[in-house]
Amino acid sequence: MRPFDHLTMMQFCWSALSILGFSIRVNLRGWKIFLIALGGGLTWAFYLIFLYFSESLLFSVFFSVLLVCIYSEIVARLSKIPVSVFVTCVIIPLVPGSNLYYAMQAYIAGNSTVTSQNLYKVLLISGTIALAIAVVSSVTSIILRVKSKF
Amino acid sequence: MNRLTLSETIEISMEIGRILLQNGSTANRVELMMCKVCKIFGYPETEAFVTPTGIFLTVSESKENITTSIKRIENRQTDLGKITKISHLVNDMERQYCKEGVCYWNADQFREELKHIEKEKAWPDWFTILCGGLTSGSFCLLFGGSWMEFAVAYTVGVLVSLSLKLLGNLKLNNFLLHILGAALVVVFAKVLDIWVPYIKLDNIIIGGIMLLVPGLSFVNAIRDAMSGDLVSGTARGVEALFLAIAIAAGSGIMLKLFELWGM
Repeated sequence: MRPFDHLTMMQFCWSALSILGFSIRVNLRGWKIFLIALGGGLTWAFYLIFLYFSESLLFSVFFSVLLVCIYSEIVARLSKIPVSVFVTCVIIPLVPGSNLYYAMQAYIAGNSTVTSQNLYKVLLISGTIALAIAVVSSVTSIILRVKSKF
Repeated sequence: MNRLTLSETIEISMEIGRILLQNGSTANRVELMMCKVCKIFGYPETEAFVTPTGIFLTVSESKENITTSIKRIENRQTDLGKITKISHLVNDMERQYCKEGVCYWNADQFREELKHIEKEKAWPDWFTILCGGLTSGSFCLLFGGSWMEFAVAYTVGVLVSLSLKLLGNLKLNNFLLHILGAALVVVFAKVLDIWVPYIKLDNIIIGGIMLLVPGLSFVNAIRDAMSGDLVSGTARGVEALFLAIAIAAGSGIMLKLFELWGM
């Protein structure tokens, strides 16, 4: 899959649709849910594009979450919804639910190599997402503090 | 044009804190909101301490008159719509209803408004259930499913959302609810597999599992730990870990049972 072709576009749409469904499921309403859906789509699109250019899983997860967190810090402040609500919905496509399932499946089939591979992936991906969110939220609080001084 | 008494202030800000915490806000944000509300009502000397299971609030009127109140939070759910509404209410309070400790609303109006927020439903139940189907179906396509698998994943998502809603009435704890949810995802997918030919179950089950992943606890844990709130940061992190284990255990048990049965 090359970046910016129709397959990436379709993946973007599906990611956005699933986040639209998710945000309705947690009782958000109004036109803001389309902004959240756009953010969810962007997460997955950035991930695919970075994955194509860097061929490194954790690098692309880190930078896509970083970019999308910056997007959500800006858009959430403009559209007056709490930032944590926005970030929660937006990172859902990258949460390693699939690796968790594959680990369990391989464990039941008795294949411990695949199990540990997938478990490592679960831990590393969630750690990377955590790191990216932490970086953006601390930098934002520093910027806000500096801004309030002047 | 009246000033709220100390007990009314504590009652209303406790209620705001309770709604925020029960619906999945970060502890740091709940503390900020409660202090802000007390300040708006004209009591700037406020200390709040929030953990995921309880709220402590101390408001002082003068040097002698200090009141502390504790609230235990038991059942928690995920309802981000209520968090947004409460934030809007607090912002409106700051701008319109109250200025320099003088309120244009009395305590009953605030109670009425909070009760209204607590009761109001953003969407009808059937619509959120259908959207659960949309989420799991789209995740199935995202991880490489075909259109037929999308249809099956949609059905699985709708059935799982419906049964989670029904199980929610039994007031089960979160851990058991996630085990049952993940087990039901596998059961529905395997049963539908009997009638629908040529589908791969992996993507369908992953789509169903993505409905259950503890994204909220995860994000809250990080944001709390980053804002220096170590107690709730670790508590939320452990909650997210337990829920992930619950999902893995629930799906694993059912996969093994079906394997023993020979499917």
